Amino acid sequence: MAIGFFMAIPLLAIVVYLFDGVGEMWSHISRHYLMSYCTNSLFLLLGTGTLCFLFGTSTAWIVSTYEFPFRKAISWLLFLPLAIPSYIVAYAYVGMLGNGGTLIGWMQGIGLPMERIDMMNIFGLIWVLSCSLYPYVYAGTRAMFSTLPRSLQEASALLGAGQRRYLFSVALPLVLPAIIGGLMLVFMEVLNDYGAAKYYGINTFTTGIFRSWTLLEDLQSAVYLSALLVIAVLLLNALARWQRGRKSFAAPNGALKPQSNRRKQLSGFQKFGCLLVVSIPLIFGFLLPVGQLLYWAVLTFDTMFNAELLTVTLQSFGVALGAGLLVVVVALGLIFFSRWNLLKPIRAFQRIAVVGYVIPGAIIGIGIIRSSQSIIQFFSDTLQLNIGFLFYSSSAVLIYAYVFRFLAVSYNPISANSLKLGKNLGESSYLLGIGKFKTMFQVELPLLRNTLIGAFLLVFIDVLKELPLTLILKPYKLNTLAVKAYEYADDERVPEAALPALTLIAVIVLLMAMVSLIDQKLEKKRT
Amino acid sequence: MNRLFFPLLFVLALLASCSEAPKTEKAPQDAVEEEEITLYTHRHYDTDKAIIQKFTEETGIKVNVVKASADALMQKMESEGDQSPADLLITVDAGRLVRAKTKGLLQAAESEALMKMVPEHLRDTDNHWYGLTKRARVIVYDKEKVDPATLSTYENLVEPQWNGKILIRPSSNIYNQSMLASIIAHHGNEEAKTWAAGVLQNLARKPKGNDRDQVKAIMAGEGELAVINTYYLGKLLNSKDADEVKAGEAVAIFFPNQDDRGTHVNISGIGVAKYAPNKENAIRFIEYLLSKEVQETFAQTNYEYPVNPGANISELLQSWGTFKEDNLSLTKLGELNKDAVILFDEVAWDNGPTS
Repeated sequence: MAIGFFMAIPLLAIVVYLFDGVGEMWSHISRHYLMSYCTNSLFLLLGTGTLCFLFGTSTAWIVSTYEFPFRKAISWLLFLPLAIPSYIVAYAYVGMLGNGGTLIGWMQGIGLPMERIDMMNIFGLIWVLSCSLYPYVYAGTRAMFSTLPRSLQEASALLGAGQRRYLFSVALPLVLPAIIGGLMLVFMEVLNDYGAAKYYGINTFTTGIFRSWTLLEDLQSAVYLSALLVIAVLLLNALARWQRGRKSFAAPNGALKPQSNRRKQLSGFQKFGCLLVVSIPLIFGFLLPVGQLLYWAVLTFDTMFNAELLTVTLQSFGVALGAGLLVVVVALGLIFFSRWNLLKPIRAFQRIAVVGYVIPGAIIGIGIIRSSQSIIQFFSDTLQLNIGFLFYSSSAVLIYAYVFRFLAVSYNPISANSLKLGKNLGESSYLLGIGKFKTMFQVELPLLRNTLIGAFLLVFIDVLKELPLTLILKPYKLNTLAVKAYEYADDERVPEAALPALTLIAVIVLLMAMVSLIDQKLEKKRT
Repeated sequence: MNRLFFPLLFVLALLASCSEAPKTEKAPQDAVEEEEITLYTHRHYDTDKAIIQKFTEETGIKVNVVKASADALMQKMESEGDQSPADLLITVDAGRLVRAKTKGLLQAAESEALMKMVPEHLRDTDNHWYGLTKRARVIVYDKEKVDPATLSTYENLVEPQWNGKILIRPSSNIYNQSMLASIIAHHGNEEAKTWAAGVLQNLARKPKGNDRDQVKAIMAGEGELAVINTYYLGKLLNSKDADEVKAGEAVAIFFPNQDDRGTHVNISGIGVAKYAPNKENAIRFIEYLLSKEVQETFAQTNYEYPVNPGANISELLQSWGTFKEDNLSLTKLGELNKDAVILFDEVAWDNGPTS
């Protein structure tokens, strides 16, 4: 209860704004751009939703069902497009394929004439966002595919269903909660994207919020627009829950043996097909943009590589690690606490907190500054204590902001997967006289291991990339790689932004390697 | 062992996240003796960092820097109220400074030295803010296809001869808003709207990308003229990417309106915060930034025009030639900025030309 309330504070601070009514520019906004911004956003959502579903589920299915060369490496690599901030991907694509594009130059160099491809339109934006966001779908779906009980597949094979039939009639419907959870994250990221849309000259709902706030000087209307956005997302969420209905996704007792060790062997031709499907998002989401960044980084290496880069890297890593773990813990707390107590109000708070993900970071920043300011005011009024320094020069507020902002990222996949665990296991454990905490740590959490790791990685990556909140809430001494990259990119010096961006990716790869190492060790001990 | 692993991990995580904060909190308290100022800035150039470092070396005053967009910073100052740690606010346009003044976020900073260093039209009438560097919004043209004799004024851009040839970025960009604001100031709302609609119909493509992209588009033959800020051309010419240098070399600068009011300029500027805890040192910092030496560094490394008339401009800037600048008061520009945004919306600028 306390956590839920604590998490909802910034939102309440924003809600307070709503009571003041719409701002003076509202009629201008609704007359001149509201409709076109809405249709643009809708089109973007549909486009990225479809592409992310295709990329995410196809790769997750292939990686978890079939055995082919480099499977293990590819299953980790598929996460990586998420490591590049989408606005950097947007710049990289223009750098490759735009006027004077690197890739075009090289193609022409080897005698392959290639036309310039104009990325700066809504289709380009859909492509760029899908390429960098599909891992949200991939992460949750893969975790769920790989823990589908083997008995299901055996049963459907006995009933005469082929692999394809099994996929479409059994496996896909079962992982639907994970797919939808992933798509929700994609949608929220798309709605929140500002940098890429602005650069490509596409006006979306979020650019509209910023236009109202910063250019039309009407924060009031901007907050109203954000509220509309929140309502839209709540509706989407409700839709997802309605789809899930009262169905139980729990597996029957004793069926929880994961299928992980039994992947289907493939013929040479099939292997090639699998590799082809998996490599499309990998090439376009990761290899090409990283290639462009590498080219830029080499150009600017002399000026950009220095001791400062190293300290910034360490700082980013520390903050992201701390925030990532904390977010997972809070998400688990919310899920298990409401489960144990079957509390209704908690659910409302959960939803409120999860909404933090969709409001543009800058607006959340305002909410957080407002609420922390009232705390400071309270202390100085009643206790004559000046505690401002606590807020201005520590990472405490920043980490709190991250938790608020990214709770949804870990909450969605964890709750989707713990649904699958069902209550049976826990209840049998309670019957055996084992306490709730012990059950959680010894029975339920180990079963959620893949999901937890996935959720932690997602938050870690998100925190590393986070921009608007970090900019406004970070203490003076702290600097992050994302901020550093942004400073150059904002000044139209994109090549200079490449090295910090690449370092960001390297940090994430390093962490993934560490996690996978720990993972393997645990696996060995288990068997 | 592995049964303990996850609980341990969580406890560690909790500890880590709890202990991290207090550690960083203590530091500033111990250092309370040290003189320091806090700067909220929208400028994030390497040049600025070096200049700030030098200031600290010379004076012993530490500078805490918060970098974010001017709007976010102003919102932050507003929320923080009288407990705000900010001493100074730097923005990259006069409009934001005017707004900060109207919102009561700044205070007068009287300094005779500053009066001498900053020309009257580049500072606030009540000394709430001062210009730091100037940026001219000019026309660049394709050296091969355009005869500069056919170019004259911003107003001339609506002529049919430029149909399908002009490149410019979206209206969300502050430099475009400020340019339209100057047109409003000189011709009034109605005429400015006609002008914006006219330019819009002459555009080669839907407005998109940044200033550099417009120059690259000229090289690729998408258009023949682009409206950009001067220092972006300086950056293109000094880029490490050979293609960017080539794009920069393909165009030449034309300073519009030389026979009448002069070329439109905007500034990046600085003001002292209303509740600045260290006002004296803050003014000292402004004086430092406007000193001849630092002003020349701005011109040399960031290709901006110095505000201090005593400062020399760099060789590259000299090669572009001297020009007459529009002496319109920047306060006026700031006040009209919102009107400019509304006009852009009304002509549906960001949707591109209709024909």
